[in-house]
Amino acid sequence: MRKVMYLEFERCIGCRACQAACRECGGHDAKERNYVEYVDFFENRQTYPMLCMQCKDPACARVCPANAIQITEEGVVLSAMEEKCIGCRNCTFGCPFGIPKFDFEENKMYKCDMCYDRTQHEIAPMCASVCPSDAIRFIDHDEMMDLRRRRTQMNLIEGKKPSENNKWDYVPEFFGVYSD
Amino acid sequence: MTQFVVKPGVKNLKHDGEKLITTHCCYCGMQCGMHIRVNKKSGKVVGVEPRYDWPVTMGKMCPKGVTAYQTVDHPERIKKPLIKKNGEFVESSWEEALDLIEKNYKKLQAEHGKNALSVFGGVSMTNEKCYLVGKYARVALGTRYVDYNGRFCMSSAAGGFMKTLGIDRGSTLPWPELEHTDCFFMAGTNTAECHPTTIQWLWRARDKGAKMIVADPRETPTARIADVHLDLKAGTDSALANGMLHLLIREGYVDETYVNERCNNYAGLKEAVKLFTPEYTSELTGVAAEKIIKAAHIYGQSPRSVVMFARGVEQQNKGVDNVALYTSMALLRGQIGKFASGVATFTGQGNGQGGREHGQKADALPGYRKIDNPEHVKYVAGVWGIKPEEMPEAGVSAYEMFDEIQNGNIRSMHVICSNPAVSAPNNHYIWDSFKKLDFMVVSDFFLSETAEFADVVLPTTTWAEDEGTTTNLEGRVIRIRKVREPLGESKTDWEIMQLIAERMGKGKFFPYKNVPEIYEEFRLASKGGKADYYGITYDRIEKEDGVFWPCPDEDHPGTPTMFRESFGTPDGKANLPAVLWQEPGEVPTEDYPHTLTTGRVVFHYLSGTQTRRTQFLMEKCPEPYVEMHPELASQYAFMDGDYVYLETRRGNMKVKAKITKAIRKDHVFIPYHWGKELSVNKLTNPSLDPTSRMPEFKVCAVKLRKA
Repeated sequence: MRKVMYLEFERCIGCRACQAACRECGGHDAKERNYVEYVDFFENRQTYPMLCMQCKDPACARVCPANAIQITEEGVVLSAMEEKCIGCRNCTFGCPFGIPKFDFEENKMYKCDMCYDRTQHEIAPMCASVCPSDAIRFIDHDEMMDLRRRRTQMNLIEGKKPSENNKWDYVPEFFGVYSD
Repeated sequence: MTQFVVKPGVKNLKHDGEKLITTHCCYCGMQCGMHIRVNKKSGKVVGVEPRYDWPVTMGKMCPKGVTAYQTVDHPERIKKPLIKKNGEFVESSWEEALDLIEKNYKKLQAEHGKNALSVFGGVSMTNEKCYLVGKYARVALGTRYVDYNGRFCMSSAAGGFMKTLGIDRGSTLPWPELEHTDCFFMAGTNTAECHPTTIQWLWRARDKGAKMIVADPRETPTARIADVHLDLKAGTDSALANGMLHLLIREGYVDETYVNERCNNYAGLKEAVKLFTPEYTSELTGVAAEKIIKAAHIYGQSPRSVVMFARGVEQQNKGVDNVALYTSMALLRGQIGKFASGVATFTGQGNGQGGREHGQKADALPGYRKIDNPEHVKYVAGVWGIKPEEMPEAGVSAYEMFDEIQNGNIRSMHVICSNPAVSAPNNHYIWDSFKKLDFMVVSDFFLSETAEFADVVLPTTTWAEDEGTTTNLEGRVIRIRKVREPLGESKTDWEIMQLIAERMGKGKFFPYKNVPEIYEEFRLASKGGKADYYGITYDRIEKEDGVFWPCPDEDHPGTPTMFRESFGTPDGKANLPAVLWQEPGEVPTEDYPHTLTTGRVVFHYLSGTQTRRTQFLMEKCPEPYVEMHPELASQYAFMDGDYVYLETRRGNMKVKAKITKAIRKDHVFIPYHWGKELSVNKLTNPSLDPTSRMPEFKVCAVKLRKA
């Protein structure tokens, strides 16, 4: 797969369309596998999305005593295989990002599989398809690298909450379009 | 006609045994493009697929859009007519329900005259249906009392645009141009929550360095990243706008050539804004003077700017003035009618734009014609096949209809596609009015809070069970496709109006066999009006990704950018307003020391009749809450999650506190999507705008205590 998932936290508007969309994906049993959290609602409304990093050497799979978590040839880390999962929850503790979820009724783990039924045909996953703010994107690897470089140039105000009454100091002036 | 519309090279996932039908979301004015997944065998709606190639939204959806399909095959759908017998709803046949309606309507009109009946419409319906509501009231029932829920939503924007620009089209520019704008001045719009799929355009513009100025008492997700957040007091928009205009003139940012050539009353405006120095504006609005100055410099220096606003400025008793003043900011800068610049309001309801143009309004006729204009009446009467003198006179606005009920003039109401028991201000008055009615009919597909008051509930279809057109917030006319057959015995709103018309002996005026027939008549009815749809056909909409009105003939390309050459006023010039400062209907006093403002959350739509029945949305936001600043909370020792008792002069309620610094210290905010004891509209103020007759939902004085 040439395409990658790209997250830009500060674009997130907290609408949780990605979560609603996650439930819509074919193999997802109407359960969302991604997260949207407030950074600190007391302070402001900034939220951020979180989804599986699809690690190259995934901790969840490594700590699985039953070898239930398979990785596809494209590198997508799948949910535990139903017949193998023993419900030990090791994966939920092992993952450094806190991604795998556990279904206590069915006694099995489930996690983001990047909408494998879509992405294997190079169709964007549901979360990235619907995200109204482009906080979650499914883009070419080259485009991602390009965006990464650009981000460091454009240190946007987004995500950096100025303290009370001095929003002033934070108005980004570096675009150079206007001046006082 | 094609069911699945997709451009070459765009990949969509098609599941086995399913087909995709292309349509648009049923909720807000964004009308996001989507494909609905339908099981080929059962015909049931099973899911949604993004429409990546819809040029306005690019496949993006908010959580309401993603879950919209779930209301179609919903277990709570009303599938048979309901008649209230001894206080309980009993399922009945259509025959019985229509008999009852006929009997009561005829009796009431015989006893109290034609105007004893009334119709309360809505704009979450297709143009075809909205058009028919006006005709149904005036021709089938022969009553002057027809109005619609747009009075709670769009009428101030309409009034303000009419006054200033002469034509009310929500946006003077097409949405994809927003990407190229240099500066957004956004007032009273929580875009990220209420129109989330617009955000992609704003963020893209921002990536290129566009500036944002946001005026809102709350630090919304858009205000948070704004270059300047003008944290004004609710209800002080006219002061802020006057202050901005003052600075634009003082600092020499006015495009004098444009203003001289294309605007009237510049001298009057200049005179009126003289008073609004940054210091005086700051005093009225509570915004620091430096911020206002900074905002004026950013806005004034931007080569291409868009002024955008929404209910925050419109739902006030000076909503029309607010709209006129903010629009004037764009006029003084010479922005309207040009690329990537102009003025836009965010239409709240799905077809808020189309629905308000075609005669559901008490004083309006199709094509934005006026009922007090004999020429207009003559034309529309001709299309309808009635005599001009048979056309009833203008009625009264939505909220004032309830006054007429209280006065005993209106004896019966037919509520179509609306839920005023939740969405109208001063709920207690509304509920009491419903109880006073002799006979009440509600058309809905769920048993809404309003339907509970009804004597007869007629089961309608959802948007997915009928076809037609809607007009999105840009003014682009688009196609809604039929996705499945009507559930149970439910019927489309137009069939219902047709059936009642037949019972009232007016069947010959409603001879439609299908929706395209209504559309043909509607096109003709709008022909020559301000909102001219005559040149728009279903085929063209499909081929051209929607067509922008006005489009007077089939060779006309449509009008994506309005007012390129001249404005819609008689002399072709925009009218600049001269408006003095006026307090909101209620200001904080010793007894009611704080300001209450209301609004939406991203998970719910209007009165919540649909979204409160959607599992995902209810999991994310099950109940209303009161948002307040920690400084205010500490004055009453409220902790996050504590129950708070709120009281205004009209009502009270108890909700949980949600504490955040992202709101003014003297304001509290409650979302309005819930009914009965959870309805914040028990508290809101029905102070009406003199022109648009829109109630002041956004400002009232409130007192708090621990519950």
